[in-house]
Amino acid sequence: MRILLIEDEIHLREQITQQLKKQNLTVDAVADGEEGLYLGLEQPYDVAIIDLGLPKLSGIEVIQQLRKAGKDFPVLILTARGRWQDKVEGLESGADDYLVKPFHFEELSARINALARRASGWANSTLTCGPIALNPTNQEVTNNAVIIDLTAYEYRLLHYLMLHAGEVLSKTELTEHIYEQDHDRDSNVIEVFIKRLRTKLDPDKTLNPIETLRGRGYRLALARDH
Amino acid sequence: MIIKQLSLSNRLLLAVSLVLTAFLGVSAFSLNNAFQSSADTAHQKRLKNYVYTILSVAEFSEDGAVIMPEELAEPEFSTPNSGLYAQITSGRDIVWQSKSTLGLFIALPDHPSPSKEYFSTITLNTGIKLLNLAYGIVWENSQGQQFGYTLNISEDLNAIEQQKIGFQRSLWTWLGGTGLILLIVQAFILRWSLRPLHDAAIDLHAIESGDRKRLSKDYPKELNQLTQNINTLLDHEQSRRERYKNSLADLAHSLKTPLAVFRGELESSSDIIELRRTGHEQLDRIDALVNYQLQRASTEGQSSLLAPVSLGEIIHKLLLSLDKVYQSKQIKHQFEIGHDVYIHADEGDLYELLGNLLENAYKYCKNKVHIFVQPHTNTVEIHIEDDGNGIPEHAQDDIIKRGKRVDTQVDGHGLGLAIVSDIVSAYRGEIRLEKSRLGGANIIIELPKH
Repeated sequence: MRILLIEDEIHLREQITQQLKKQNLTVDAVADGEEGLYLGLEQPYDVAIIDLGLPKLSGIEVIQQLRKAGKDFPVLILTARGRWQDKVEGLESGADDYLVKPFHFEELSARINALARRASGWANSTLTCGPIALNPTNQEVTNNAVIIDLTAYEYRLLHYLMLHAGEVLSKTELTEHIYEQDHDRDSNVIEVFIKRLRTKLDPDKTLNPIETLRGRGYRLALARDH
Repeated sequence: MIIKQLSLSNRLLLAVSLVLTAFLGVSAFSLNNAFQSSADTAHQKRLKNYVYTILSVAEFSEDGAVIMPEELAEPEFSTPNSGLYAQITSGRDIVWQSKSTLGLFIALPDHPSPSKEYFSTITLNTGIKLLNLAYGIVWENSQGQQFGYTLNISEDLNAIEQQKIGFQRSLWTWLGGTGLILLIVQAFILRWSLRPLHDAAIDLHAIESGDRKRLSKDYPKELNQLTQNINTLLDHEQSRRERYKNSLADLAHSLKTPLAVFRGELESSSDIIELRRTGHEQLDRIDALVNYQLQRASTEGQSSLLAPVSLGEIIHKLLLSLDKVYQSKQIKHQFEIGHDVYIHADEGDLYELLGNLLENAYKYCKNKVHIFVQPHTNTVEIHIEDDGNGIPEHAQDDIIKRGKRVDTQVDGHGLGLAIVSDIVSAYRGEIRLEKSRLGGANIIIELPKH
C-alpha cells in the first residue's frame, strides 16, 4: 500500500515516514504543496496524508486540485488548528477524514488503514480471505491461525493483493504500489515475490491463493470473509 | 482637500452663511426693484393729477388767451424753486407758467397731439434733472376756431432720487442687521446642537486614556444608537480581553500540575516503562489543556454586533462532514428544522459548539442521531439525541459545573462537553441533559437569538 505524505514540518514528516515504513507501508514524503500535488497527479496512491498549512500551495488547494483531476484515493488531513470550521472546510474540499495535531501514531495508522479498507470495500480491520488473514495493525499474516513469516516486500505485495482481492492486478500496478517513487524498479522481481508468496502461503499446493492470468497479471483468488 | 478638512460646524456655518447671504441679497435686489418701479409709477400718476388740476382751473378767452387764477391749489406751483413747475405753451410761445418757474428758463421741446401725453427726463443747464409730462390740449372758441396748447408739468427728480436713496439705505441697514443677527444666532445654534458630538469625542478620549470604561448614557436620540453600539463593542472587547487573560492564567496554572507530576516521576522512578507511561499520560493531559484553553480564549461570545448566521447551514455542513468521517458506522441521521433559523452569533463559535455535540453523538451512538431545532420568540432550542449509552456521570458534571477548570480529569467526552458548556454560557444560553427516546443522551441547548 503506497502512501503520499505532504507535511512541511521536517521532524514530524520524518517521524511519520519512519513509523509508516515500520508498518511495511510504502511512503513518498514531500515538504510542500506543489511537489505533493505533482506526485499526487502522477503516481498511483492508496491514501494521502496532507497537512493543511503547507508552503507554496495550501493543503485545501492540493486536495481540491487532486479531486478536480479525478483522483479519488482517500485523503486524511492533518491540522494544528482543531477548529470545527477548518475541519468542515477540509472535508468539504474533498478530504475523507481529519486528525488534529498532536496525535498518537496508533491513531494515524488506524485511520489510514480504515480509509484504505473503506476505499477497497473491506469492513473489518483484519483482512481475511479463506484461511489467510492479514492484520495491518501488527502486520501479522496467518494461515489457519498459524503465523507466516514474510519479508517486507512479500508483506507489501500480499497486503495490496488482499486489499484488492478478486481484482486482476498487473505487474506494473503491483510494482507501483509496493515501491517508493525513487526506488529502482524491476517488474520481474514481482514474479519472484509471487512465487515465494505461493510457497509460503500454500506449502502443500492445495489452496492456490494467487492466480496468474497470462498477459494480464495476478489475482488473489480466495473469497473475502467479511 | 480643504473642504474635506473642514469641521462639521464650519461646514454648516459656511453653508448657512452662503445661503443666508444669497437669500438676503436676492431679497434686497427684488425689494429695491419693486420700490423703484412703484415710485416711478406713483410719480407719473402724480404728474397726471397735476395736469387735471391745472386744466380744471384754466380758462380760455375767445382769442385763445389763457387765464389762470393767481393762486393754484397746489402751493408748490406758487413757491419759486419748489421743484414743481407748470407751463403752457402754444407753438413756440410760452402762454403761461407757474410762479415756481421764476428765474428758471425751461425750454420744452415736446408738443404731443391733443389728449396725448409724453413723459421725458430733462436736464437743465443748471444741472437740475426734471421729469416732464407734456400734454396736448385743443381749445375751440364759439366760432369754431381751434387753438393748440401744450401743458407741461415738471417735477424735480432730485427729491425722488433722495427718497430712493433713503429707502435703499434703510433697506440695506435692516437686511444687513437681520443677516448679521441670524448668522450669530446660527453659530450659537450650531455650537449648541453639535455639542453632544464634541462631548462624545471627549468621552472617547477619556476611554482612550483609561479614565473611563464606557461612554456616558445621556446622549441625544440620534447619537444614542451610535454610542450604545460603541459601548457594546467596548464591553465585548473588555470581556474578550478578560477571557484571554483568564485563559492564559488558567493555562499556565493548569500546565503546572502535569509538569510537576512528570518531574516527580522523573526524579523518583527508575522504571523506564512506568516513566514512559506517565510521560504519555501527562503529555495527553497537557495537549487537552492547551486545546481547551485555546478554544476558550478564541470564543467570541455574545454581541449584538454579530451578523446573523444560519443554524440550518452550519448543522447541515457538520452533518455532511461527520457522515463522511463516520462512514463505516452507517449512521442514520435525522435533521428537523422548520424554515431556516438565524441567530446573532459568531460562526466559528457555533461550529465549535455544534461540532463538538454532533461529534459526540456520532461517536457514542449505535447508528441513530436525531437533531431537532425549535425556534421560540427570543431563543432557539436545539436537541441532539442519540441511541448510545448516554453520557457517563463524570462528564455530566462538566456540563453542570460551569467555568470549572478542566485540569483534574480530562477525557475526550469531558473536554468536548466542557467546551460546549463554556460557549453556551458565553452566549448566556442554557444547557440541559435528558434521556433520549432513542435510548441515549438528549442534549438540549437553548440559545438567545440576539
